[in-house]
Amino acid sequence: MTGPTDIHSYLAELEDIPGTRVFTAKRARQGYHLNQFAMSLMKPENRARWKADEKAYLEEWPLTDDQKAAMLARDYNRLLDLGGNIYFLSKVFSTDGLSFVQAVSTMTGVSVEDYQAMMNAGGRSPQGLRSKKEGR
Amino acid sequence: MARITAGVGSSHVPLLGVAHDLGKDKDAYFGPIFAGYEWTREWEKAEKPDVILLVYNDHASAFDMKIIPTFAIGCAEQYKPADEGWGPRKVPDVIGHPDLAWHIAQSLIFDEFDMTIINEMDVDHGLTVPLSMMFGAVKAWPCKVVPLAVNVVTYPPPSGNRCWALGEAIARAVASFPEDLNVQIWGTGGMSHQLQGPRAGLINREWDNMFLDGLIGESDRLRHIPHIEYLRETGSEGIEMVMWLIMRGALGTATRALHRHYHVPCSNTAIGHIVLEPAG
Repeated sequence: MTGPTDIHSYLAELEDIPGTRVFTAKRARQGYHLNQFAMSLMKPENRARWKADEKAYLEEWPLTDDQKAAMLARDYNRLLDLGGNIYFLSKVFSTDGLSFVQAVSTMTGVSVEDYQAMMNAGGRSPQGLRSKKEGR
Repeated sequence: MARITAGVGSSHVPLLGVAHDLGKDKDAYFGPIFAGYEWTREWEKAEKPDVILLVYNDHASAFDMKIIPTFAIGCAEQYKPADEGWGPRKVPDVIGHPDLAWHIAQSLIFDEFDMTIINEMDVDHGLTVPLSMMFGAVKAWPCKVVPLAVNVVTYPPPSGNRCWALGEAIARAVASFPEDLNVQIWGTGGMSHQLQGPRAGLINREWDNMFLDGLIGESDRLRHIPHIEYLRETGSEGIEMVMWLIMRGALGTATRALHRHYHVPCSNTAIGHIVLEPAG
């Protein structure tokens, strides 16, 4: 066996990473309909209906008001907090015509140009971003 | 008898598929990435594998949140490229090998790995990008493919140790298939990357290269790396590297490296690629 043998300590560790929401069962449950909505955009006919009237399309899904507002605002950090998973949310930003870099950069607090420059310079260092508790 | 002759590890970044499909693979950004695959394309032409066991993860394409299989094996006759939100990639359909796939599925279950069987699905960039990287632009893929999908999205994914053990069981299953087949196993995904939250863009060149080093030779230390280390060191999506351990486990007690390539960045991701052969 590798790592903790107790699921509670395993899950607690996953919350110790700065700036990261690991897609745990708790988030998967919270975001179930949000992610299923995003998944529906894999069908061209659904993409067309979504693009024609986003609000009306969202009304067809049992999402919370917070989830709907965050979706209309494309607030991806908020969507992660509300149970969204990035691979599901990617159907939304792909429908918007955004690349992963363009969409992902919106969660980092810097412009897409600065984000891309950081990636071209070798990416973000893990230094200081490994553990909230240990500050390493 | 069928035999596993080689293992290939590779990132499967969707942007590589875009670059390939739009003919940007020689430009300033993508050129150095694709150059690292030229050796492998020539090698594959000489090796002529009959079947690739392609270990990958589905990115909310064939599987949604309704059903989340930990290990799933494709037993279908063929698979179409998935529409991931911008229309399906214009690459050939993937032809399966149902006889071998069902043989492996049965053998694995008999060997106490509780596999999910897939008889119908579309395959996303996780599977088609590695095929493009290794075979280039072709009218038809030059070999058959058995997809093996691993859940690395919803926690907990399988442990590295379990992935390694599954690889060992796959090797036993392949060795008992009566037809004479040249089989390769590919592990895909990674390397360091994080696609979410304020920490997105994380890259860890040193850790990635430690991982590549660990795939070579006799050591099996990589199988003991806990999930939390992948997450802390290589970003939330770096966990995909556990899939490379299925490939490594299938190659037996020791390996020899034939080719290795590492490049930062591609999109949000560190590109890693390695070609191994059993040396046990």
